[in-house]
Amino acid sequence: MLRLRNISYSINGREIIKGINMQFRGDMIYSILGPNGAGKSTLAYVTMGVLKPTTGRILLGDRDITDFSITEKAKLGISMMWQEPARYEGITVREYLTLGGKLRTNKDELQEVLELVGLSYELYAHRFVDKSLSGGERKRIELASLLLLKPRYAILDEPDSGLDITAGRLIENVLDYFRKIRTTVILITHHEEIAAKTDFAYFVCAGKLIKKGFSREIVQYYKETCGRCFLAEMRVR
Amino acid sequence: MWKVLPCGDESEMSIKIDRVKEYETILEIYEKEGLDTSLFGDRIATIIISGDRIIGLNNIPGVEIRGEEIEDGVRAYVEIADGTELHFPIHLCTGFLKNEGYQRVIFDITVGRNSKVKFTSHCIFPYAKNFTHEAIARIKVGERSSVFYEDEHIHGEGVRMVGKTEVEVGKNGRYTGKFSLTKHRARELKLEMSARLGNNAVAELVSKVKAVKDDSVEMKEAIYLEGAHSRGNLKSTVIAFDNSRVNVVNEAYGFGDYSKGHVECHEIVKGNADVQTVPLLRVKNDRAELTHEASIGRINEAQLVQLMAKGLTEDEAAEFIIKGLLRE
Repeated sequence: MLRLRNISYSINGREIIKGINMQFRGDMIYSILGPNGAGKSTLAYVTMGVLKPTTGRILLGDRDITDFSITEKAKLGISMMWQEPARYEGITVREYLTLGGKLRTNKDELQEVLELVGLSYELYAHRFVDKSLSGGERKRIELASLLLLKPRYAILDEPDSGLDITAGRLIENVLDYFRKIRTTVILITHHEEIAAKTDFAYFVCAGKLIKKGFSREIVQYYKETCGRCFLAEMRVR
Repeated sequence: MWKVLPCGDESEMSIKIDRVKEYETILEIYEKEGLDTSLFGDRIATIIISGDRIIGLNNIPGVEIRGEEIEDGVRAYVEIADGTELHFPIHLCTGFLKNEGYQRVIFDITVGRNSKVKFTSHCIFPYAKNFTHEAIARIKVGERSSVFYEDEHIHGEGVRMVGKTEVEVGKNGRYTGKFSLTKHRARELKLEMSARLGNNAVAELVSKVKAVKDDSVEMKEAIYLEGAHSRGNLKSTVIAFDNSRVNVVNEAYGFGDYSKGHVECHEIVKGNADVQTVPLLRVKNDRAELTHEASIGRINEAQLVQLMAKGLTEDEAAEFIIKGLLRE
């Protein structure tokens, strides 16, 4: 189990995350739901090790991994998809997915994950992961990369943003695949329809954990409260 | 006296009889470096230079290569007839197999109208310890012709290279020039490339260089958009490690109506390398448009951390990114 214990993160005296507690059990699909500016992505960066928490601990099982580097966390099976995946000049999709041959895989597996995210192996394997790809294509390749990596914990930061109207179906397929390979997913989103596809949800607003529960309940709560400009209310408090 | 010798594939090449050994050494280096030995075949227009001598020459219909031996080097004239379209590249092989010395090569290349050709130029100096190579290329691209010129270098530890390429692209012509020195040491490299473009002409100059240890690299690329609707692109990528020094100057001049130019320079620095880039954009026509982008510094943080989140160490991630940047 991956646990965040009383995590806070501040920058320039401003507290972005305020004492958050969360836990992610194996084989489940979680969402962290909240409006823009709620601190969701910051929480993802802290969990992945890109940012160090100001206070609090991150535990994997009984092991304290708070001060582990990004690579160390990745080697323990925690991986992440960024909201805006980077582009790499001169690196083909195939090379990117296999991390330059470091990830042992085969053509069938590459074909399977690319098709699952709606891309054809023949058309994309030899294209470069650079500016020639659209934002949506790049995002699909990033999802394929994580599927191929088969981490124990996959953090997906706004995986649906920048995708076309087929995004909902795509996310469903991706989540089904992660369920099949028993990866715990932590999906960050501000779209209630995407959060509704997960098992369990955390509602975060203004850096605080507001509510947790089954996704259906949390989505309903999110719709009701965010409609009344919950963010502004929370900031005043 | 010439002797017909087998090359890497099924075909043959005429070689000066007293230079057979040098030819065989060059062929071995091609094999060792993974270069295409079929370029020595009889279907390919070729000139092979070793030191100050022409040791091999092959002409094919539509391509005439003539050469003369000058002091310390060779001057070669390459003429492509109008309407020539080649399925194979024209091979310009310049070798120097000794440790020390000086070599000067001059290429005058004229491509007629409506032609489509590719040049593959290899400069092979694998044993150089104290060697100066001076190369001058003047390339004229005729109207509606398309020329692709790639230049790859195999250097020993001690090469001082001074290169100057001047290109003129005629109306509706197209020129792409690629220079790369990424697998071997640059040591001391002074490179100047310029292109002058006529109406509707297009040119792209791409260079990739890796500098290590105490290498010194000076590159100047310039594009003169003289013709109306001409378009040009300059792109340089430099990886500078250790104590190397790199200076890149990219210049674009917008003179023609509706001419468009773009300058792009990316330099990655690691260690104590000293790197600078100077873009110069000059417009003398209010209908011309020039843009530039440059980045200089360490490897992009976002690129690094995203690869590290997949289990690569920082060094592995950096190596992966650099490999891509230097890809030919």
